[in-house]
Amino acid sequence: MTGISVAGIQKRFGAYQALTSVSLEVRDSEFTVLLGPSGCGKSTLLRIIAGLEYADGGTIDIGQRRVNDLPPRLRRIAMVFQNYAVFPHMTIYDNVAFGLRTRKTPEAEVRTRVMRMAELMDIGAQLSKYSAQLSGGQRQRVAVARALVVEPEVLLMDEPLSNLDALLRLQMRAELKSLLQEFNTTTIYVTHDQVEAMSLADRIAVMNGGHIEQYGSPMQIYSRPATRFVGGFIGNPPMNFLLDDHHSYSRQVGLERPGKAHSLGIRPEDIQVYREMATQCWPVKVGVVECLGPMQQFTAELDHQMLRVTADPDLALHSGETLYLRPDPAKVCWYDGEGRMLPV
Amino acid sequence: MGLFRVQARAFEPTYPLLQGAEIAVGWYRLDGRVAVKPNPWLPYLLLGPAGIFVLVFFVYPFLQVFFLAFQDSAGQWSLENFRVMVDDFNFAPSLINTLMLCFAVVPVQICLALVMAMMISRVDRGRDTLLYIWTIPLGISDLAAGIIWLSILEQSGFFNSLLGYAGLIDQPLNWLNYQNPVALFFAVVVAEIWRATAIVLVILVAGVGLIPKEYNEAAEVFGAGTWRRFFTITLPLLRPSLQSALILRTLLAFEVFAVVLILGGIDLPVLMGESFKWQFEYRDAGVAATYAVVILGISIAFTLLFLWALRVPEEAQG
Amino acid sequence: MKRVGGSSAMAWLFGASLVILCLWVLLPLYLLMVNSVSTPDQIHGWPKRLWPEISFDTILFFWNFQGVAQAMFNSIVTAVITLLLSILLGTPAGYGLARFRFRGKNLFRIMVLMTRAFPLPLLALPLAVVYLQIGLDDTLIGVALVHTMLALPFTVLVTFSLFLGIPRELEEVAWTMGCTRWEAFRKVVLPLAAPGIAASAVFAFVVSWNEVFAAAILTVNNQTLTAFLVQSLDESPVHLKFAGGLVLVLPALVFIFAVRKYMFSLWGIASR
Repeated sequence: MTGISVAGIQKRFGAYQALTSVSLEVRDSEFTVLLGPSGCGKSTLLRIIAGLEYADGGTIDIGQRRVNDLPPRLRRIAMVFQNYAVFPHMTIYDNVAFGLRTRKTPEAEVRTRVMRMAELMDIGAQLSKYSAQLSGGQRQRVAVARALVVEPEVLLMDEPLSNLDALLRLQMRAELKSLLQEFNTTTIYVTHDQVEAMSLADRIAVMNGGHIEQYGSPMQIYSRPATRFVGGFIGNPPMNFLLDDHHSYSRQVGLERPGKAHSLGIRPEDIQVYREMATQCWPVKVGVVECLGPMQQFTAELDHQMLRVTADPDLALHSGETLYLRPDPAKVCWYDGEGRMLPV
Repeated sequence: MGLFRVQARAFEPTYPLLQGAEIAVGWYRLDGRVAVKPNPWLPYLLLGPAGIFVLVFFVYPFLQVFFLAFQDSAGQWSLENFRVMVDDFNFAPSLINTLMLCFAVVPVQICLALVMAMMISRVDRGRDTLLYIWTIPLGISDLAAGIIWLSILEQSGFFNSLLGYAGLIDQPLNWLNYQNPVALFFAVVVAEIWRATAIVLVILVAGVGLIPKEYNEAAEVFGAGTWRRFFTITLPLLRPSLQSALILRTLLAFEVFAVVLILGGIDLPVLMGESFKWQFEYRDAGVAATYAVVILGISIAFTLLFLWALRVPEEAQG
Repeated sequence: MKRVGGSSAMAWLFGASLVILCLWVLLPLYLLMVNSVSTPDQIHGWPKRLWPEISFDTILFFWNFQGVAQAMFNSIVTAVITLLLSILLGTPAGYGLARFRFRGKNLFRIMVLMTRAFPLPLLALPLAVVYLQIGLDDTLIGVALVHTMLALPFTVLVTFSLFLGIPRELEEVAWTMGCTRWEAFRKVVLPLAAPGIAASAVFAFVVSWNEVFAAAILTVNNQTLTAFLVQSLDESPVHLKFAGGLVLVLPALVFIFAVRKYMFSLWGIASR
C-alpha cells in the first residue's frame, strides 16, 4: 500500500525561496491535485517527490520507504511531463517498452504488456511510428501509456493536459479519469487549471507562494475556502469578499459573525437577488451585466465595494438600476485580518 | 571527498529493510549507485579536462610567448629581441604589408558578403545549393587557396593564357615577383577575398535570419523602398553581426601566411611569414616570439577599436 | 525567386549576378583541377587550354614524389588524433555547460570565447620550445595537440548549443524509468546529438587537415602534407604543388557538404 508522506520540505533557488516547509499526506490510491498559479512551487514540489530536484530540508516517504536520498530510478515512480517527452528517436513501441526494458523484463513479457497498454490507450495503430508523426493528443496517450506500463507505485503528472487544445483536453480529462480509477495508482497531478483539478481530484492542495494554503476535497475547497487566497483563486467568477470590520453589512442582513471577523466571503451564486425592497437586504447599484447563456452575471456596487452576482437568465437587468441582495447565511464564510477563515 | 560522502549517505543503514527489498524484488537495479543529491563535482568533472587543456595549450603558451620575447637567451629581461626584430630590414615592410593587406581585403569582403547575404535572402528556390557553393571556400586552407591562385596567376597560368588568346600579350608576363610589387599585392588580395569572404557571409546570413520579418514588412507598409529599408532597418539591426564579422576577419587577416608564401615567397614579407622564418630557418625562437607579440598587439588593438567604434548602446539592445 | 525588382531586366540582372558569384567561387577550383589532370608539359606550356586532356601523370608524379605518401599519412593521423581529442574533451564540456549551473561557468565560457580572439597558430612558437624539452618535438601528437586547441572552442560551443536543443525532460523521464544518469545520456541524449557531434568531428578533422603554420613550425621530418608543401616550396616543381593543392581541397568539398546543416551553428554561433 503506497501512500506518500511529505514533511517540512524546503527549497531555495539562489535568493528565491521556492518552497517554505511544505507537508502533504497522500493516501494509498488517492488522486491528489496540486493546484496554484504559476510560480507557486507546485511543479518544484512534484519534481522533489520525483527526485529530479533535491530538497534543502524535510523528508519524503513513498510507501514505508524514506526516499530522500534515492535517485528517481529507485523511487518506483513514473512521470508524465507537460511536453510529453516522447523519445523522438524511438518508435512508439520502443518508447512504451523503455521502462520495462531498463528493468530487464523478459522481451516476451514486454511485448504482452506493451500490447495490452497500447490497446487500453488506443495507440495500437501508432506503435511502429515515430513521435514526429503523431498528433499532440496521441503523444499524450503515449506518455501516459509509457508511465503506466511499468505499474508504478506512484504516478506523477506535471500539467499533462495543458499543451492540448480545449476540446481535446476535455476528452482526455474524462479518459484519464476513468483510466486512473481502473489502475488505482496513487497519483499526484500538477495543474493551474481549477476545472481540471475539481473534476479529477480526490483531494486538492491549493498552493501559493511556496506553501500549501488548503488541502481538502474539491467541495471543501470550493465551499469553505480556508483562506481568502483560495476563495479568490477557485471559482469563476471567484468568491466575493466584503470588508466588514464595523459589523455594519452583516448586521444589515441579520448575520451572526465571529468576534475577530474582518471580512465576509460569499460565492456569486449564493446571493439572492430581489427587485423590490425587502428586509435584511443590501441595496446595490447594478454595474456591468453579462449574459452567459445558462445564467447571467452582473457587478453590484455596495458603498464602493464591488460584488459579482450570478442571476437567473430571465431576470431583466439594467445597468444603473438599484437591486436588493441577500446572502445565503449557510454559505457565508468569515475571514480574519490575515485572510484566514474563522470557525462560525 | 564530497562525492563519496553523499553516496554513503544514500544507503545509510537507517533503512536496513531497503537494501534487502531492492535486491529481493530485483525490479530496481542497484548497480551504479548514485545519490540523487546533485553531485557538486559532476560539472567540474565534465569541464575539467577541457579546462585543463585550455590552460596548458592556450594560457600557458600565451604567457610563454611574452617570456620568450622579453628575455634574452640567458633568461634575463631584455628588449634585445625587439632590437633585432626592428633592425631587420624585413620588419618594416612586413608590418606595412600585413596592415595594407588587411585594409585592402577586409572592407571588400564585408561589402561583398553583405551583397551576397542580401541576395540570398531574396532567393527561395535553390537557396541551399547557392549557400553550399558560396561557402565552399570555408573548408579550403590558405595554402590550398594560394596554390589555386598560383595556377591562375603564374607565368604560364590561365590568366596569362587568356590574355594571350585575347591578343593582349605576346609572351607570358610574370605577375608574381618583386619587379611587379603592385600586381603581386593584388594577387594576394584577390586570393584572400576569394578564400575568406565565406566566413563573413555565414555570419551575416545568420544575422539576417535573426531579424524579424515584421520590421521590414512594417517599413514596407509605411512606403519605404528597397534601399531605404536596407539602410534604415536591415543594416542597423545587423550591426552586432557586422561587428563580430569585422573583428574575426581582421584578426584572421593579420594571420595571413600561406597564401603570401605561395604567391609571393620572399618578395612580399608579412609578419606571420617573418615569424616562421625566424623560427624555422634562423632557429631564433626569441625573435619569432617577438613577431608573435607584435601580431597579438595589433590584434588586441583592433579588436578594442572595433568594439568601441561599433558598440551598440545598452538601451538600444533588443 | 520573389520580389525581384520591378522589371524583368532587374530579374535578369539579379540572376546573372548570382551566376557570376557562383562562377567566381567555382572557376578557380575548376582550373586547379584542370592543372592537376594535365601532363607536366601542358602545365608548363603557354598559352594553356581551359579544358584538359585527362592525364594522371601529374597526380602519379605527386604520389611517387619522395615523402608525399608519408606526409599524407601523417596528415590523416594528425587529423584523426585531433578529431578524437576535441570530441572527447569538448563534448563533456558542452554537456556540462548546457545542463548545469555551477560556480565558474562564466569564467569557463569567457575563456573559451577569448581563444577565438587570438591568433592561435602562434601558440606553436612557445610550444616548440617546450616540446624540445619534453621530447614531443617533431611528433604528430605534438602537432595534434595544437590543432586540438584550434578546434576545441568550436567543439565546446557547438555541442553546448546542441545539448541545449535537446529537452531536459527527455533525460528526466528516462531517469524516472530506471536509468542512471549515464544510461539516460547514452540511450536518449547521445542518439539525438550524434549527427551534430559527427559534424563537429568532421570540422575538427578539417581544421587539422588545413592547418599550415603550426604544423610547419613543429615538424621537421614527420611533416604533415601542408608542412611538407610549405617546407619544400623552393625545391619542388610547380606541378607538384597543383596536385598537392587538389589533394588538400577535395576533403574540404566533402566536408562542407557534410556539415551544411550545421554551418550556422559551427560558424554563426561560434563567432559571437
